[in-house]
Amino acid sequence: MNREEIKELAEHIYDLDAEVYIHLGSSLGRVFNRDRERCVNELTELLMTRPQGHVVRSELALIANMARTLEDKEERKLCMSEYDRILKEVMSLPTSFAHGDVLDPDLAELNAFNLKERFSDQDHLIVCISWTYGSGGNEVGFRLSDKLKISYYDAEIFEAVLKRLDAEKDSFHDTAGYASEVKDEISQSPASAFAPAKKLTLRQRFREFSRYHGLSKRDAVFFNQSDLLCDMAKKEDFIIMGRCGDAIMTNNKIPHISIYITAPFEQRVLRAVEVNSGLDERKARRLLHHLDRRHSRYYNFYTGRKWGHANNYDLCINTASYGIDGTVDFILKMIDGGRK
Amino acid sequence: MREMIPLWLCIPFAGLLLCIAILPLIKPNWWEEHQPHAVAFWSLLFVVPFALMYGVFHASETVLECMVNDYLTFIVLLFGLFCVSGNITMSGDLAGSPRINVGLLALGTILSSWIGTTGASMLMIRPIIKMNAWRKHRRHIIVFFIFLVSNMGGCLTPIGDPPLLMGFMRGVPFFWSLHLTPVLLFNMVLLLFIFYWIDRRAYRTDIAKGLKPDISKPGTEIKIRGAHNMIFIVMIVAAVILSGTLPSLPMFQDAEGKVLGIHILGEVVLSYPAVIEIAIILLAAFLSFKTTDASIRRENHFTWSAIKEVAVLFVGIFITMQPALMLLKASGPKLGITDPFQMFWATGLLSSFLDNTPTYLVFLTTAGSLGFTGGMMTALGSVPIKMLEAISAGAVFMGANTYIGNAPNFMVKSIADENGIRMPSFFGYLIWSFGILTPVFILDTLLFFL
Repeated sequence: MNREEIKELAEHIYDLDAEVYIHLGSSLGRVFNRDRERCVNELTELLMTRPQGHVVRSELALIANMARTLEDKEERKLCMSEYDRILKEVMSLPTSFAHGDVLDPDLAELNAFNLKERFSDQDHLIVCISWTYGSGGNEVGFRLSDKLKISYYDAEIFEAVLKRLDAEKDSFHDTAGYASEVKDEISQSPASAFAPAKKLTLRQRFREFSRYHGLSKRDAVFFNQSDLLCDMAKKEDFIIMGRCGDAIMTNNKIPHISIYITAPFEQRVLRAVEVNSGLDERKARRLLHHLDRRHSRYYNFYTGRKWGHANNYDLCINTASYGIDGTVDFILKMIDGGRK
Repeated sequence: MREMIPLWLCIPFAGLLLCIAILPLIKPNWWEEHQPHAVAFWSLLFVVPFALMYGVFHASETVLECMVNDYLTFIVLLFGLFCVSGNITMSGDLAGSPRINVGLLALGTILSSWIGTTGASMLMIRPIIKMNAWRKHRRHIIVFFIFLVSNMGGCLTPIGDPPLLMGFMRGVPFFWSLHLTPVLLFNMVLLLFIFYWIDRRAYRTDIAKGLKPDISKPGTEIKIRGAHNMIFIVMIVAAVILSGTLPSLPMFQDAEGKVLGIHILGEVVLSYPAVIEIAIILLAAFLSFKTTDASIRRENHFTWSAIKEVAVLFVGIFITMQPALMLLKASGPKLGITDPFQMFWATGLLSSFLDNTPTYLVFLTTAGSLGFTGGMMTALGSVPIKMLEAISAGAVFMGANTYIGNAPNFMVKSIADENGIRMPSFFGYLIWSFGILTPVFILDTLLFFL
């Protein structure tokens, strides 16, 4: 069986689940609860790599559990015969399709430096830049967007999310970005450090609970941010700074380029002091440690990956080796090379 | 019965449990089709030798006794709550997250004591499944739901769990069980803490895979349809309370103080309070169906398969467990169990596999016969408070050890299975309960029952 046929089988599995769900009219959830394309792709990979694995069989069994409860005999019969047919096909698959190549087809498909193969005519150019504070990542991103003549998004995403959530800006910290944290550190007076946290009334708590659907503010913002980025990816080319953009794009099978920009710690301290008047070296060191820790925690929490690990990115750059302009040129060359 | 029943008569019970545990794993389709046959086979394997040894009359009396007095009320209560709760649906865009789940489990646990573990389970299971429908890793939520809502939460009042109702009928005051509040709170805090971290990990895994709830609209709208069915739940709870209070009224007793009822065979009598309970519950279920729009049931994915499965399997469980219960009744007082911690574990471990109501009664009778002078005065004698607490906690808490330990456990599992959640197998669930509940019960022993 070739990849196309396996994909077709995966489509049948997904469609069966959808059909059973529609016939049941239930609102309690289904086996494949995401969009068709993504589920089919995942199933295809699963069938390609471990066709005899218990996972696909268990998923099929769950669909059958639901199908057996269909009240209409005709519908039940149709669904169960389709289930039997699919099960037979799954069981007849060979145990492995491995061919020894280290290439991860999933990853390679998303790798924009394989631009010839990765981007179709309908896909937009999306560059996700993760960066450490003081490495000049934001400058790189900004200049890159200027040269490529595409949009640049950082805090703007956060503002848009607040609008979606109908929330007040004062009640939030942009935990995915650096700007507010740096501003706080520079302007922090000894008194403000000991100021009591703002207490919410019961009414305010209820309002927040309702506004964020019972989720924490941070989670609600992240989910909205993800939705927003996916929507934007359908409409335009852009550069997104941080915000787990690379993981969001990968999870949603959106072709993109992921870049991690950093520099040696001492170099970053120097730059942080240079660009922020009012920040001395001691404060800058503390700030960088704090920001690295916080960003790492944020990224790890929402993506299950380790922030800054080379495995997660298409390209990792030390800006101390190239400078900001050099880094921009380097990335541009890669992108242009891929496009030719 | 004059002589001690032989141990080998317990083989059909063990055989049936093994079938429930293994066959869904190795022959799922066969098991689904042939459950009634397996139940009939193991039941006959007990009834026929038992009839040959003790006579057909005695065998019929034993089977009818458990069917009429235990199984009938058990399944009618389950059926009533299943029907009524299936007619209440909650729609909204509240997203299942660790803190929401902790809140729902805490609410369900508290509710259990006031509408029964079965009532709370049936009422809460669908909203929990619905809120977490966006997630992939959710079986642990249902496992902890069984631990807390389907079992432990029922320890505070006689409405909570049938063993406590039995204690109430034997002279334990209605609100006495509130003595177990510190034990319940301790277990609740501990289990919810463990749950929070397990759920948080699973939640992170789901998010990392790109799953997200639909929260695109600002603000949460929660709508409850079929809310009038809460009246019928109250009606069912009232029926349960009546079944516990009516037998002590003189108008339901004959001159010898025996409860009046419909004579079936030998000493088997379906008591009038039980008839009243059954009638009220069935009426509540009927009215619930008559007054609720069918679209609510459709939205709830209401099917008969879960109750059918429980009804079939528990016929066999109730019949085949009889020799084990007879053995327990005969040898319980001779086991040399005299300390609260021993009572806690003995009642608990046996309640994990046997019906917890007779198990509770056996150990309450044993405790009453030990000749204590202080403590709670019951119809069975004086029982020290600590010992009564240990027996009650053991019977209620350890029903969570297995899928068959308490009525709603299996029901919750079946509903989850039907709605896209891959529940652990019988043994898989034992691993969960052994790994999480055993340490909690050891702590309970050290803190409360030594």
